[in-house]
Parts: sequence; structure tokens; C-alpha cells
Amino acid sequence: MPVWILCLPVLFPILAGAFMLARPIEDRRKRQIYVAGAVIVNAVLAMAVLVWTPDEALTLIRFSDTMQITLQVDGMGRIFGILVSLLWPLTTFYSFEYMKHEGRENKFFGFFTMTFGVIVGVAFADNFLTLYLFYELLTLATLPLVMHSMDGRARYAGKKYLIYSLSGAAFAFIAMIFLLSYGSTLDFTFGGVLDPAKTGGKELLLQTVFILGFFGFGVKAAVFPFHGWLPDASVAPTPVSALLHAVAVVKAGVFAVIRLTYYGFGCDFLRGSWAQTVVMTAAAVTIVYGSAMALRTPHLKRRLAYSTVSNLSYILFSVTLMTPAGLVGGLSHMVFHAVIKITLFFCAGAIIYKTHREYVYQLEGFGRAMPVTMAAFTIASLGLMGIPPLAGFISKWNIATAAVDTGMPLAWIGVAALIVSALLTALYLMAVVIRAYFPGKGYDPASVKEVEDPNRLMTVPLIILSAASVLLGLCASPLLAVFERIAAGL
Amino acid sequence: MGSFLLIFLVLFPMAGAVASYLIGRKSKSVRDWLVLAITVAELFGALLLLYFPGAALRMEGICGLGLTFQADGFRIVMALLTAAVWMMTTLPSKSYFAHRHNRNRYYLFLLLALGATMGIFLSGDLYTTFIFFEMMSFASYVWVVQEETSEAIKASRSYLTIGVLGGLVTLMGVFLLYHLAGTLQFDLLRGACAAVGDRRLLYAAGGCILFGFAAKAGMFPLHFWMPRSYTAAPAPATAILSAVLSKAGIFGILVVSCDVFYRDADWGMLILILGVVTMLLGAVLGLFSINLKRTLACSSMSQIGFILVGVGMQGLLGAHNQLAVYGTVLHMLNHSLIKLILFVIAGVIFTRTESLDLNEIRGWGRGKPLLAFSFLMAAVGVGGIPLWSGYISKTLLHEGIVEYIEILAAQGSAGLMRVIEWLFLIAGGMTLAYMTKLFVAIFIEKNPEKPVEKGTYMDKPTSAMLTISGLTLLLFGLFAHGTMDRIAEASRSFLGGEALEHTVRYFSWTNLQGALISVCIGAVLYFGVVRFLLMKKDRQGVRVYVDRWPRWADLENLVYRPLLQGLAFVGAFCSRIAASVADWLIYLIHRLFYKKAPQTVEPKTNEQFGAYSNRPVYRGIVGETLAYELLLYGAGVVATLLYLLLQ
Repeated sequence: MPVWILCLPVLFPILAGAFMLARPIEDRRKRQIYVAGAVIVNAVLAMAVLVWTPDEALTLIRFSDTMQITLQVDGMGRIFGILVSLLWPLTTFYSFEYMKHEGRENKFFGFFTMTFGVIVGVAFADNFLTLYLFYELLTLATLPLVMHSMDGRARYAGKKYLIYSLSGAAFAFIAMIFLLSYGSTLDFTFGGVLDPAKTGGKELLLQTVFILGFFGFGVKAAVFPFHGWLPDASVAPTPVSALLHAVAVVKAGVFAVIRLTYYGFGCDFLRGSWAQTVVMTAAAVTIVYGSAMALRTPHLKRRLAYSTVSNLSYILFSVTLMTPAGLVGGLSHMVFHAVIKITLFFCAGAIIYKTHREYVYQLEGFGRAMPVTMAAFTIASLGLMGIPPLAGFISKWNIATAAVDTGMPLAWIGVAALIVSALLTALYLMAVVIRAYFPGKGYDPASVKEVEDPNRLMTVPLIILSAASVLLGLCASPLLAVFERIAAGL
Repeated sequence: MGSFLLIFLVLFPMAGAVASYLIGRKSKSVRDWLVLAITVAELFGALLLLYFPGAALRMEGICGLGLTFQADGFRIVMALLTAAVWMMTTLPSKSYFAHRHNRNRYYLFLLLALGATMGIFLSGDLYTTFIFFEMMSFASYVWVVQEETSEAIKASRSYLTIGVLGGLVTLMGVFLLYHLAGTLQFDLLRGACAAVGDRRLLYAAGGCILFGFAAKAGMFPLHFWMPRSYTAAPAPATAILSAVLSKAGIFGILVVSCDVFYRDADWGMLILILGVVTMLLGAVLGLFSINLKRTLACSSMSQIGFILVGVGMQGLLGAHNQLAVYGTVLHMLNHSLIKLILFVIAGVIFTRTESLDLNEIRGWGRGKPLLAFSFLMAAVGVGGIPLWSGYISKTLLHEGIVEYIEILAAQGSAGLMRVIEWLFLIAGGMTLAYMTKLFVAIFIEKNPEKPVEKGTYMDKPTSAMLTISGLTLLLFGLFAHGTMDRIAEASRSFLGGEALEHTVRYFSWTNLQGALISVCIGAVLYFGVVRFLLMKKDRQGVRVYVDRWPRWADLENLVYRPLLQGLAFVGAFCSRIAASVADWLIYLIHRLFYKKAPQTVEPKTNEQFGAYSNRPVYRGIVGETLAYELLLYGAGVVATLLYLLLQ
């Protein structure tokens, strides 16, 4: 494969999306064909690149020897790339149906397609500068999607998102500069780039900078106390909440944290330091906090958003264990949570699309009224709670065993946080499921008379994703083997 | 072939569940036959297992750590029992559910749980046990909520809560154990745990694992969900809950007690004490209850206590554990069969009368000899009357205690154990008292308001099943050496029991004494307490049963619910504070430093663009003074100095 193919899956959707914004397509059918074509072609392209990866890296722009915009695929990028490329087409089909009632579809699909390219850019970035570039672009490309409805709440959420993300990136920038001055290179190197000759005696300073960088990238990963934008951003159209705020954007934050920890500062430098204590504590607090807030949030999409806050910190907690097993646990939860949470959001979206009901207490008796949707919701809920043999159980098992194996006292607290959070997860998700299936006394069957499952564009992605979360749980080992190879630095 | 059989037993009912659900949407009668056929096939599969003792199957990579299945004596007995109970409860299900809704859902989860329960009993490591245990918990939740009445919904919430909570705590324990022992395989666990140096951590792990399994078994203080859930669930489901699912909990407790804490006296003592409390509390609650299913539920709890006494004695007796091992296994078996009969009878009564209150159903059983016969078989079985199977297992348990007393007496004091022996006999007496209460109320007393029903009251399969099960109890009791002893001998190795040196003479005078004492206590309790204290004359002058148990004395309402609500409140409070910390900081900074830009003025015509007023508005708590500017300057200098010094 020629080297230049690396830039195709990044640039193609950006151009395709920009073209749509410049020349809007008024006919819905033509637009759908265009968008579906662009997304599928790009997903295939990305897959092709991921399978037949060129040996060399592709340098797009060269500022200096150490500062370049370079694309290349490694194990981490491959995982993230595959995840995104698989979920993007599904979400696109779902959006075709969903966006009918939101309007301004040209604008939406334009930016939606562009974001695909930016995310692939995040996945393919070969050094911190490239990662930073696409990370900032991601904020800008997704802002119009968050503010889509342009009413007061959406604009507020958009502003909040912008301020949080940009200031976070500024902190991350500081970390990058320090890496440049105290390290040998900005290229991702498993085990870290810090140069021992330069860092001698500056450990405290560098650890402080790591914390800055962690929380900077952590903004997108919604780590407490910088999680505030995520629940508010749930005013965005549901496909955006589903794909961007459960998978692409937030996982880009996690992805960047992993890059910073494992490929920037290096685990050996950080392990056992006070910086590790700080970041692990933050993650453990977020785990419980997110679940507790989810429990007392009656708005379904907001509840799921808080649940995302909590689950992202599962990944962060596992990653900050700074052991290979921790990275395996984090990566597995990154993938499994993506599949599960996108299912949950799709269900919430299907409910909003068909009935305009947004609150948990309005869903009584939906089990019979929307059988496919609620079945998918139930499977995903059980998966997220970590009921074996579904996917969520495998990742939680991996995280907890990784934590236990480190033998740190803080890791035990983290495991306790996981268990408490799992209980809270059961409460806030099962409350929805129980209401839907067993509405109890005082429930009026007439209230769901008009309610029915949405059409196939929505239900087929739901069925595929539910099946995936079961299959991933049953046949997790090949995937885990891949994660283990990444965690070993291969 | 053996390994194929193992996976077949687990997966076949699950596949059958989906098939029967899909068929049930088209035709109900075909579905009913299919479900029965699946359970019968399952029973034959389990019987085939007898020809493959020692069958093992390792499925690498499934569910991360991989699943292990294994069959040996004890596990084959439990698998057979499971399949048999499932088949026998499916027989009366058809008539029980004839006029009820959501049968399709019920059968779906019934068969799913069958596969999961098989998975538990055939598992070869704790990981596999746990995975199927969770599946079983969730599948059986749907049975409890099946009727969808408000009681059922309340009961099912308790059931689900304890299921989820128990599962999570157990999972924590499994993590710990895996970390400490490095393996979860049953056959390696005993050696690995003996080698663990840090006993305190091992006890913590064992305690966590115990929590989930004990909750399912209904051990004190995690029994609170049991009476309510058993009462709310449909009768065939209750039969399974009591006969098999509680044994799945016991199975887990046995793994912890016989593999992790093999012959550990401290652990044995803990289980023994909890078992004694469970045994007594269940019996007292059963004595007070005036609802048929509730009494049976309390009785289940009490019998689980008896089994736990056996488990505890195994730990205490150490190398002399033969009798306790025998008693534990056989009492598990007996209790399953007995409760199967009793709950099915409760179902028959409920389908005809739509009531379970003793005052309303009293006298209903008059003139129904077959029903009376099978009830009597089960009642004397559970009461431990000689010649029936319950006597055998209770005698073994009792002899285990006596043996330990002798060992202790040789060393000095045996005071506590003597007390426990008496409590054991008293609980046996109470069992007799409440079973007599039920039998007298349903089959002997006359009901002045309702005439005795005539005609058929249950279908043929149900009557056949009840008769056969009832006779089995008698046969087991009569020919104990040929039947029960052999089952126990086959199961011995799983529990790590020693071989019995000589066969037990069940009908020797010393062994009969225990039963006699229990019978006497039972008679005193029945005539002294039940007939005297727990009945009163109503306005028509008829003696009726009254519920004298104080309403407030309910562990769930008294302790657990307030505790959980309190925890939820504290959690929400802390989250709130945590959530607003950042806001406070920002507010403080805002007030200290922030010079607000000129206020935005929004003309009503265009909300996108605002115009600004002339003067900047300052909203700090510190005024715009020279001193303030100096203060900020000073702070800046200090920061710079500090940076220079630290460099």
C-alpha cells in the first residue's frame, strides 16, 4: 500500500462534509445516498488502511525535526479506528430516521461527516502535535452538532462545551511543551519519551505537569470536576449524544490520556508517584460520583450522560494503574462501553423520536409497547451493570483483577468504588427496565396505546449492537489477546 | 461424549427457552408440550450423566477467563435433582397457569434459569459458578414479579436488590480469592487456600463470597426477602425457588466451606452460629404465620438452617466429619423433595380457592385423601418422624453434634455445644408443631362457612407426581442403607468427607431418642402454643387462627430499608457538595478578582447581537481601591519569588 493512503480516511470525509455545507442537497433521498455513500466508503477505506497498514509514516507538514504533522497506525490507533469505523455507519443510518424531526439536516450531516475524518485523524496521529491538532479540530467540528437545535439550552451547552474543551486543551498543550523540552521526541513511544539526562531533579515539576495534562485531556473524558459539560451536552440530537458523547469525543479524551500516560511520560516515570495518587483518586471519585448523580437524574438522556461520566472513569482508573493489565482492562472497557452505551442512547433516542417522552417516569409499560427497543435497552443495561456473560462483566473483571494485582491500597479503594458504582448502575438502569416491563398498580394501558417501535433504520442498528454486546462478552478472548499485545508494547 | 453432555445440559434448555417463546406466540398448547418435552429431555440427559462420572469440559476463552464444567458424584446428584424438580413443577404448571397471563414470559425465564442452574451445579471453578449464579438470579427475578400485583412488585424489588447486592459482594470476594489463591478451580482451591499466609484476607474473601450465596440460600440475616418473595411468586416457581435455587446458594457455601476453609474450626463456628439462628428464627416465624405459603417459606428458611448446622459441623469436626457430611447432603436432598411436594400442594389449593389464608382454606382438604396423603408424607418427612427420610438426615446431623460434644467433653467443656444440641431438638419440635398446624387446619378442621368441594380438584399428572414423590420419601426412609447412604457416599468426595467406618444404625435406641424428644417438644408446642395462644374465638364463636407476630418486627422494614435510604441520602448529599465545590471556587474567584465586562444589553429585536452599556460594572467584594491593587501586586511578587526560590 502506498503511504499517501494514510491521509485518505482523514481528508475524504472532511472534504465530503465541507462540500455538503457549501452546496446543500435539498432532496432527502439524494442526501441520504450521498452521506451513506461517503460514510461507508470512508469506513471501508479506514478498514483497508487498518488492515494493510503502510510500513512508513506519512508526514503531511514539517515544521522542524521534532514538530511535524504525521499520520501512522499503531495498535492503539487501530483499536480506536476500528471502533469508530464500525459504529459510524450504524449511527448514520439511525440518524437518517432520527434527524427527520430535528430539521436542518444538511448542516447536521455535513458536520457529522467531517467529524468522522477528524476522529480518524485522532486515531491515526503519530505524535503529540498531530494529536493536539485533531483534538482541537474535534472540538470545533462537533460544536455545531451540540448546538444543533439552537435554542437557549443548546447554545448554553455549546458554550460550556467550547470553554471546557478549549481550556482543557490549553493545559494539555502545556504538557506537550514540557514533553518537547524534557524529552527526546514528540513521537509516540511506548514506555515514554522523557530523557533521563534532562529530567534529573525535575521529577516534581514534571509530575505536576503530567497532572495538568491529565486533567486537560481529561476534560473530554469528563473526569471530575471537569465533567460538567457532558450532561448539559445531552441536549444535542440523540445520534450525537450516542456516537460523540458516548464514543468518539469522550473516548478521544481517554485515548489522549492513554497516549499521554503510556506513550508520553511513561509508566515507569509515574508509577508510585504522588501524581498517580492524584489521578487515581480523581478517577475513583468520578466513578462513584457519576453513578450517584445518574441515580438522581430523572431525565433519561442526562441520566445516561452521567452514567458515561462514571464509566469513562472506569477506563481512566484502569489506565492510571499504569500496569499492562491495567491498560488491557481500560482498553476492553473502552470498546465494550462504547458498544453498550451507544445502544442505550439509541434506545433513548427511539423513545424520544416516537413519543417525545424524555423522563424515566414516563416510560411505564413501554416493554410491551416498544418490544425491540426495550429488549435492546434491557440487554445493554445488564451489560453495563456487568452481569455475566455480557460484555461489561468481562471488562469490569479485567479492571478489578488488574487493580487487585497492583496491591496498592488505593487500588482497593478503586475496586470498592467499582462495586458501589455497579450497585448504583443496577439501581439507575433497572429502575427504567422495571418500570417499562412491570408498571405496577395505577398504570393506565391507554397511555402507551399509540406507542410502537420505530422503523427498521432504527431497530436494525439496535439489534446489531445488542447482539454485539452479547457476542463480545462470550468471545472476548481474541480481542483481549490483541489488547494484551498492545499493552506489552508491540 | 461426557463433555458434550455437560454443555448440552447447560445450553439445551436455554436454546429451548427461545424456541418455546417463539412458538408460544403462535400456539399455546404446542408450547406447553414443548416445555415439558424439554424438561423431560433434560432429565434424561442428567440420567445419562451417571454413565460419565468424572466428565470434564474446559472452554478456553469464553467470557474472558474461560469456563470449566465438571461432573462428579455430588454434582451429578444435584443436576439430577434440578432436572427432576424442573420437570415435576412443569407438570402442574399447565393447570396452575390456565387462567393467568404472561405464561410465555414465565416459560422463557423458567427454561433460561434451568440452564443457568445446571451451569452452577456442573461448574468446575468458582468463576463459572458465579457467572451462572448471576444468570439464575436475574432469570428467577421474573418469576417473582410474574403476577405483577403490588405485593409481587414489592417482593421482587427486595429479591432483585439482594440478588444484585449479593452478586457484587460475591464478585469482590472472588477477586480477592483469585488474587490470594491464584486459582478458582475447585480441585486446586483446597491446596491453594491452605497455603495462603494471610488468613485475615482469606476470611475477608470468604465472607464476601459467602454473602451472595447465603443471601440466595436465605441465611440469617439475609433471609428477609424470602417469606415475601416465596409468597408472591406463583406456586410452581416457589417450589423451584425453595427446592433448587436455595440449594444453589448452599452449593456456593459448600464450596467456600469445604474448599476455601477446609476443616477450619473458626469458619465452621461462624456458619454453625448463623445456621442455628436461621434454623430457630425460621421455625418461630413459621409457627406464628397463618398463611400457607408463608409458613412453608419460613419452614424452608428453618431447614436451610439445619443444613447450615451440618456445614458448620463439618468445619468443627475436622477429620471426624463423616456424619456431618452425610447429614448435610441428605438433608439438602430431602428438603428439596419435601418442599417440592408442599409448594405444589399449596399451588393446587390456591388454584381452587384463590386464597392461602389458613382461616379461609381451612377444611378445604377434607375428603381429598390423595392430597392429604402426600401432604402427610411431606409433613412427617420434614418433621423427622422415624421411617421417613427426614428422620435419617436429621439423625445424622444430630449425631454429628453429639460426636463433637463427646470430643469436647473428653477435652473439658462442651457447654455451648450442649445448648446447640438442645436448640437443634427444639427447632425440630417447632417444625413438627407448624406442620401439624397446617395439616390440622387444612385437612381436619371443618369450615363452617364453606361446604367441602366435590369433584376433581387436580389433574392426573399432578396427582401422579405428588404420589410418587410422597412414596419416595417413605422408601428412602425405610431403605436408608440401600438408597440414601449410597447417594451420600457418592457425594462425599466433593465435600472432602472421610469414609464412614461403619454403617449408622438409624433405628437404634440412642438415635430414636432424639426424634422422640423432638416429637414431645412438638406436641407441647402445638397444644400449648398454637392451639392456646395463637387462636381465638371470633364473634360466631368459632376458633380462628390469628397472626400474633408483631407487625413492626420485620428486619427489612426495621433495618435494611432505613439503612439503604440513609445511605442513599448521604451519597446524594456528598455528591451535591462535591458537585458544587467547583462552583464555589469559581464564585469566590469571581467575587475576588473578576471585573465584569460592561453589562450586556439585549435589544428585544435581535437576540444574537447585544449592545454594551458605557460603564464597566464592578461586582467584587473588595472595592476598587489602591490598597487592593497593591495587594494583588504583592501576591504576584510572592508567587514569583517562590518560583525563583524553588527552582
